[in-house]
Amino acid sequence: MTTPILEARDVWRSYQRGAETIHALAGMSLTVQPGEMVGIVGRSGSGKTTFLNQVGCLDTPTKGTITLCGTDVTGMPEKELVAFRRDHIGFIFQLFYLIPTLTAVENVELPMIFARERDRRARAREALARVGLSEIHALPHQLNGGDMQRVAIARALVRKPRLLLADEPTGRLEHGARVAIMEIFRGLRAEGLGIILVTHDPTLAAETDRIIELRDGRIVDERKAG
Amino acid sequence: MSFWRLALRNITQRKVRTALTVLSIAVAVAVLYTLLSFNKGYAASLQQQLQRMGVHLLVVPPGCPYEAASLLLKGGKPPTYLREAVVEEIAATPGVQIAAPGFMSAIMHDDRTDIYYGMDQRTVALKNWWTLKPGGRWFTDGQTDGVVLGSDAAVTELVINEQTDLFTPGSELWVPELNRPLKILGILEPTGTQDDGFFYVPMAVAQRIFAQPGKVTTVAIRLDDPAQAGVIGAQLEKLDGVEVITMSELLGTQQRMMESAKLLVFAIVFIAIAISAIGVLNTVLMSVFERTRDIGVLRATGASKMHIFSLIWLETLLMTAIGGGIGLGLAVVGSGLLERAVVAGLASVKFLTMNEHSRLATFDPRIVVMTLLFVLGIGLVAGVYPAIRASRQEPIAALRTE
Repeated sequence: MTTPILEARDVWRSYQRGAETIHALAGMSLTVQPGEMVGIVGRSGSGKTTFLNQVGCLDTPTKGTITLCGTDVTGMPEKELVAFRRDHIGFIFQLFYLIPTLTAVENVELPMIFARERDRRARAREALARVGLSEIHALPHQLNGGDMQRVAIARALVRKPRLLLADEPTGRLEHGARVAIMEIFRGLRAEGLGIILVTHDPTLAAETDRIIELRDGRIVDERKAG
Repeated sequence: MSFWRLALRNITQRKVRTALTVLSIAVAVAVLYTLLSFNKGYAASLQQQLQRMGVHLLVVPPGCPYEAASLLLKGGKPPTYLREAVVEEIAATPGVQIAAPGFMSAIMHDDRTDIYYGMDQRTVALKNWWTLKPGGRWFTDGQTDGVVLGSDAAVTELVINEQTDLFTPGSELWVPELNRPLKILGILEPTGTQDDGFFYVPMAVAQRIFAQPGKVTTVAIRLDDPAQAGVIGAQLEKLDGVEVITMSELLGTQQRMMESAKLLVFAIVFIAIAISAIGVLNTVLMSVFERTRDIGVLRATGASKMHIFSLIWLETLLMTAIGGGIGLGLAVVGSGLLERAVVAGLASVKFLTMNEHSRLATFDPRIVVMTLLFVLGIGLVAGVYPAIRASRQEPIAALRTE
């Protein structure tokens, strides 16, 4: 039996707002296998992004455990957590979040700089070629939305992560670009990556293997897509 | 792309703001370097002038000996005089090789000051590096006519009189105080010291011009053994109506006076540097606030807190290093121009008089290194707070920033 890429067990994330305790996540559990694409849907404020932040090691759950690639990351020291995130997780954001002063290829090089890897330029070119972008020396403002998201995907993939976390990756894209990005995701799934896709778009959600619906930090529905 | 290049890209994100910050550092560094190098140059020039005098002891009239000696060395008018007879008493002291009397005083004009130096052959012997321009000669002892011009004095007079053939050996210089002309016997080759600005006349002539017969202003002494300056100086102190100072004491006094002035100027420079350091801090801090989301992105793509700290610190260092480099370049290239301006400015201050042959600014690699280290130190200090602020930003909060 293969080790799941993600095992989230009874994850809570609570905040204090004055005397009131807000539960952004209230006992969320989810397992993602290699080569599985899971869609998370729900209204704004339902806890979708909060959940991505927990499994992406950008935030620490108040309660519960998160196991990534067989390693329990709950309570892991900050330094190790950063290294773990760097080595195993790729992020894609709705607004692309490219560094405006860096060219496409330089943006893709970023994760490798922090990991002190060699052959950065060659590997960045390779990652951009994989997502089908040829204008590697263009600055972000010189690219259209679809191409900016290609750069963001290349940046997320360049260190060959096991888990890809995509928060509304096609939310700002036109139909043609959405189709192209989904094609890339399908290819990544076929290569064995675990993908969690947060989306409001039913068409996009339908492309996943499973759809999880959240409300008030809890799973209210889980169904097979398609 | 390297970490360095990433930092460089970041500081060029706001070009005008970065350029202004770099400029403020450059100006502060240029001023600091210039002051350090001028200070060193002037101290070296002073030392050289004193050494070239070939004098180990200086006998002056009683009073404040350092003030009197400084005035005399720079061509001022002494407040009191020495008896001429004391020269022979000094010369008779064992260990004294040459005791050269001098009578130095100045005649003030509206637009210039003529400094006359009465002397005899003993001064020529003392200053054995003096050479006259071709065709010149010194007056002989007992002669009551004749003048030898310092190289600058000759040029000055030439310009004033607008006559090009006046100051050649054999021509005459009209001296209103004597109501007669003096025959020009020679012109000194440039010496690079204040000697270039004097009119050298026989002792008796100087005494007559200033109506001080039988008086001298100073006796410059060369010893057989300079190490005996303290012992022989103490002996000479016993003579009636004299003060004795060693040249090392004089140099020390002048340097202490310079140190006081230097402290004041440096305090002002340090304030300017502190202001530019605060400017750097402000620029980097603003840049950190503006790039909050970018910093969040870097964290999400694998940067640790230490990476962010190092990146912001590096950006500050780069800015200060570039500013420092530009400032040093400007200072080194522009020091010649500044030197001319300062020398011209100092010409009106008698104590600090320099002449055109003196080197005021000295290029010294140690000063370059010291200035660079100083500016990098500023960068290190100014960058710490913004770097800490940036590294403490939580990635989620940073990513939420619009």
